[in-house]
Amino acid sequence: MDESTFQMDTRGAFSMPENHKFDAGYGLTEETIDYICDAKGEPDWLRQFRKDALRKFNEMPMPYHWAPEGIRNVDFENFRYYLSHGATPSRSWDEVPDDMKRTFERLGVPEQERAFLAGVDAQYDSETAYTNMREELQKQGVIFVNSTEGLKEYEHIFRPWFGKVIPVGDNKFSALNHAAFSGGSFIYVPKGVKLTQPLQAYFRINSESMGQFERTLIIADEGAELMYMEGCTAPQYDSATLHSGVVELVALKGAKIQYVTVQNWSTNVYNLVIQRGLAMEDAEIRWIDCNLGSGLTMKYPAVVLQGRRARGEVVSISLAHSGQLQDTGARMIHAAPETTSNIVAKSISIGEGRASYRGEVKVLKGMAGCKNNTECDALLINAASRTDTYPAITVKGNASAVQHEASVSQVDEEMLFYLQQRGLTRAQAMSLAVNGFINDLVKEFPMEYSVELRRLIDLEMEDSIG
Amino acid sequence: MDFPQNISMEEAFALAEAEAKLEAALQESRNRFTNARIPDRLNEDWRFGRPHQYATALAELLQGDTPSQGEASVLHAGAAAVPVSAADEDLKQTEMLMPTIGSDALLGLHLQRFGSGYALYIEEDTAEPIHLHYKTAGFYTPSTFIMVAPGVKAQVVEHHEGLSENAVLFATRNIQVAEGAELKLQLHSSCMQRYLCITDIQNMGGKVSQLTRHENHAWAREETVAEIYAPGSDIQLFSANLPTSSVLDQHTRQIHHTGGATSNLLYKNVLDGTATATFAGNIYVAPGAHHTDAYQSNRNLLLSEDATVNSLPGLEILADKVRCSHGSATAPVNEEQLFYLLSRGIPRDEAISLLAQGFIDDVIEKFNN
Repeated sequence: MDESTFQMDTRGAFSMPENHKFDAGYGLTEETIDYICDAKGEPDWLRQFRKDALRKFNEMPMPYHWAPEGIRNVDFENFRYYLSHGATPSRSWDEVPDDMKRTFERLGVPEQERAFLAGVDAQYDSETAYTNMREELQKQGVIFVNSTEGLKEYEHIFRPWFGKVIPVGDNKFSALNHAAFSGGSFIYVPKGVKLTQPLQAYFRINSESMGQFERTLIIADEGAELMYMEGCTAPQYDSATLHSGVVELVALKGAKIQYVTVQNWSTNVYNLVIQRGLAMEDAEIRWIDCNLGSGLTMKYPAVVLQGRRARGEVVSISLAHSGQLQDTGARMIHAAPETTSNIVAKSISIGEGRASYRGEVKVLKGMAGCKNNTECDALLINAASRTDTYPAITVKGNASAVQHEASVSQVDEEMLFYLQQRGLTRAQAMSLAVNGFINDLVKEFPMEYSVELRRLIDLEMEDSIG
Repeated sequence: MDFPQNISMEEAFALAEAEAKLEAALQESRNRFTNARIPDRLNEDWRFGRPHQYATALAELLQGDTPSQGEASVLHAGAAAVPVSAADEDLKQTEMLMPTIGSDALLGLHLQRFGSGYALYIEEDTAEPIHLHYKTAGFYTPSTFIMVAPGVKAQVVEHHEGLSENAVLFATRNIQVAEGAELKLQLHSSCMQRYLCITDIQNMGGKVSQLTRHENHAWAREETVAEIYAPGSDIQLFSANLPTSSVLDQHTRQIHHTGGATSNLLYKNVLDGTATATFAGNIYVAPGAHHTDAYQSNRNLLLSEDATVNSLPGLEILADKVRCSHGSATAPVNEEQLFYLLSRGIPRDEAISLLAQGFIDDVIEKFNN
């Protein structure tokens, strides 16, 4: 398929010449970690912490027994673990180095920021290049910085939660991220503060064989509310790149967090991300997840419902065309009574694309009045398309109700016929049908993303049906 | 190989080719047994199945000196039933080629004890159901083969019964249904300390419906693979169980090798006491198996706070024009229904047991129709 035909990839499918002040080279060893720590000027406890994580990473096996085949091709020796121009982000757009500025301008960051965002964090390879937040939010005590700065300036808030939602030994990629993390956002919203505008991060991999290990921690204090959006792009290189981020959310009593991801990495990116939120009493965490790019995505946003009446939701759209495997899903752990969760996942497989749903719902023992609802719908466009569903549901005790439903379907021929009869081309009719399939989920996305998503689907349909 | 007399050159080539294919498949199977590991925690098909506890113990028993001892008998079969003998290479090959769901190593060990059980070659409609009984007080490893000829209507009821607290039974069942044939199959197993049953149903264009019921086992695992090889095939799988203080582990595969066929599954369990039930099903629609309809549903009713349900319904769809869905639901007794019964003077225990029975009876009714 011609990459240049669709809007979102056109925006990402360019690269700037590499010009790094810091480059830790290929492979991950103790020396690499020393290099990263020195470059970032990190305290000793963190250096030791990273080294412990590296040891765990080396000890832990790859999850070959359940993970999709494609993960066997990940070769950790062939990635570069730290590349940056310097660890301090610019506060004003003018200070950003020219080539980065051009990159983010092409991605539309400054316009978007002016238009509707409360704050922006733009990450270029390993480090944040630019962070900015509206002044009135700063006055309210909102913190929005990159993780390096978060650990340095706000250690008293950051450190108690660092690695608590997703521990080092959770899995191999969690250990990898703890060892090599760099960049990502740290957000703290104080008690009762409700952000009306979203905060946003852009992740950009510019260099070949880059491994991006961003680390995001968002804490919403009691009664606080926020929405966070991230967008991801990378140019197409011959060698693979790895994106293995860790995102931890903490919603304290009565808080609400919405986390929106629109991932449009190029198809040579392994997108292996761990996202997990902790919802305390009456809190709500929503993951809104859209996977369009990357060759192999493994991503299962999770909510641990830790407090009474906590609510978790995952809304997920994935689109897999030829050469892509979108292994996405959701996890809900009901660890408190009267907690509720909802998962709605829709996937579209085009050409030889493969979209899988993999999920886990767990109701722990003695938790009464928990409810979960899961719906997975898959749409197959071509004869060679593939879709899978692998849910796992565990319920202990007789006081909770859990239901799961999945269906696989094609676009109804009669519907296409009806539309074609009224003068639409087959591609237009198909695109209308596909847009109808995901319509109720697209509404969950911020406006300009949903417009973009629709446009992308139109173009995909023209390419595959044309 | 001895070729039959009076066949053409083309037929002889086709036969030779089939022979070569079989030899290749057998070789592959031999490699499969050599390479297979006793199920452990890295075996995804034994997820939630506590392989270290159960698979290891069964493997030790199979590898040990305990002889396979049990009683096999058959009723109303007429000339159709033939006892399986260790010397029957054809049947042994059939068992070698059986797929398992994560238990290749165990099947390999079962084959080393091959030579007991019954083969049913059903060539005429059965007037009344054929009953097949396997009983043991010790350790027994029978094999069942059921072949139903084209256009024949048959009913078979299989009983696997434990006669002592320590009874262990590991059975394999190979079922082949020809074009236009109809087979109604029941499997009742009961009272075993350990019970493993591996079933392979091959449908070449007939109709098969199976109902399994497992009662009073300390640990039971069912692996049922239903394979569709021709258009027009229909497979219906049912199971209804009331485990109380036991572990029930059910694994199913609905494999559509060719299109234009239907399969359906409904497994219902009522769990009381400290029972644990695991259901892991998968519908696989092979590339090119277009126009497939496949459904799968797992329903669980939880009666006690110490009971656990694990449900893993799966789909793998590699074809187009497919209608597929699966559902899983787990819930306690419906309060409204309970209230209705209580308000009519029925004691609570009785009311719950009525509701549980009704929940299960639905499956049995569907099977009977």
